Amino acid sequence: MKFDVAALRPLRTGLVVVLGLLLAGIATRPIEGPTWEKVRAKQPALRLESLKDALGQGVTVGLLGGFRAIVADLFWIRTNAIWETYDLPKTQTSIKLVTAIDPRPLFFWLNGSRMIAYDMPNWRIDRAGGWDAVPDAVKRRFEEEQSAVAIDYLETALAFHPEHPLLVLEIANIHLNRLKDVETAARYYLRASRHPDAPFYAARIYAELLRRLDRKPEAYAFLKELYPTLPRDSVMAQPWVVLERIRELEDELEIPEEQRFRE
Amino acid sequence: MSVASVPFSFSRLSLIAGNTFLEAVRQKLFNFLLLLAIGLVASAQFFREFNFGSSELKFIADFGFGALIFFGSALTIATTAQLFFSEIENRTALTLLAKPLWRAEFVFGKFLGVFAVIGVFCALTIGLMMALLFHREGELMAVAPDEFTGGRIIAYGDLLIVGLLQWLKFGVLTAIVLLIASFSNTNLFTVVTGFFVLVICHLQYLARDQWSNVDNILLAGAVRALSLIFPNFQLFNLADEIGQGSGVSGQVALGVAGYGLIYIAVIGGLAVYSFRNREI
Repeated sequence: MKFDVAALRPLRTGLVVVLGLLLAGIATRPIEGPTWEKVRAKQPALRLESLKDALGQGVTVGLLGGFRAIVADLFWIRTNAIWETYDLPKTQTSIKLVTAIDPRPLFFWLNGSRMIAYDMPNWRIDRAGGWDAVPDAVKRRFEEEQSAVAIDYLETALAFHPEHPLLVLEIANIHLNRLKDVETAARYYLRASRHPDAPFYAARIYAELLRRLDRKPEAYAFLKELYPTLPRDSVMAQPWVVLERIRELEDELEIPEEQRFRE
Repeated sequence: MSVASVPFSFSRLSLIAGNTFLEAVRQKLFNFLLLLAIGLVASAQFFREFNFGSSELKFIADFGFGALIFFGSALTIATTAQLFFSEIENRTALTLLAKPLWRAEFVFGKFLGVFAVIGVFCALTIGLMMALLFHREGELMAVAPDEFTGGRIIAYGDLLIVGLLQWLKFGVLTAIVLLIASFSNTNLFTVVTGFFVLVICHLQYLARDQWSNVDNILLAGAVRALSLIFPNFQLFNLADEIGQGSGVSGQVALGVAGYGLIYIAVIGGLAVYSFRNREI
């Protein structure tokens, strides 16, 4: 049987094409590499550690572009409609779908986490027989489980919005209000307060929690450091409240008059 | 007269490009997608009622780029495949290529025709979006002058740069679809493969991230090669940088433009090579 060389032509063409593309890839690396690093540095959605999340973001960023804003908005409206039916699995999935489509708005992360941490334990309690019928230990378990889901969700949010103070504060709030874990909550309030855009109340709450934990000298030292950094006339910063607390702590700690904080 | 006996001619190439352009703008698909994109951009003001996240002007810009990217990609893939195969199915390619016409002239003529059509699409979409933003920004400036003490806040130059880079990305996509069409037998196969390649090009950066994490040397090499074969389309997505910090960097924009132009030339060349080896 005679071998037909022409039959190999498509294969040869394919190989040349692949080789050409490979060489183009290598040749453009010096341009593409540094440019890509700069582009990526400005887009948290493109520098995710998790391959699963990164795949989702790669597709939505690339194919939907800015359209993902409106698509996510429409899904958020749908999430609220599902939320009204108290359907836990569907609501939770829908919340996560919204932020998978568009992780940029903080609104989705904050409100989604609140639904998970504050509403869903009550739904589970209702389904288990109601507030009076369900034992406290079970209620506590529901709260802990939903809080864990919400905190995990907010940790994911931090991958898109690194160290955003409102997200860190939301985690702190869950530890404080849901899990009643003052120690951990204080750590998160401190972490949030260190961000340059943090709301002033983060630092004030941290100091209050230190007082509650009976770490008054620490609270006193923290407030003394905080006070000079606050704008004097700001209603948000409330320096007069901070000063009042400094005075209260001085009384509680019985600081001698000559060692007391001076404005 | 054989092809070898005539020199490469830009006038023949421009004739094919012009004809392709006319054919494309007469297509229902082009007009439909163009109207849809323009309609969506124009209606962005009404959709802002559904906006929960970003500022109003950012939302309108995002929405405009969404329409540009989504419909632009669909238009590029569908139009390129349709115009290429219409020549083959109607046998006009046979008539054309029987004359002293280089296959490179044919392929690059098709490319330029489609690229021009996509250019019109991008110009209309971006132009409308900019006009809409300018109008709305003016309204907001009148209502809340305190928010605009430093003048207008939208960087219109950045919008234009991002729009131009998207056009270049569509150019690379056009070249890719032509390359696929040069060996493919059907329009449908070309459209479907073109779409998958578009997705791969948007995800190829992940392959590059992963190759160094793979222990198996052969597999790592294969992943690395794969990441080099497909161009990185995420590079062209600078829309998120608008309004962020110093905005779109000129150096980055030039780098991306250079990258796109190199790929258009290389993939276009490979499409010519592949088409020359094709029996029609």
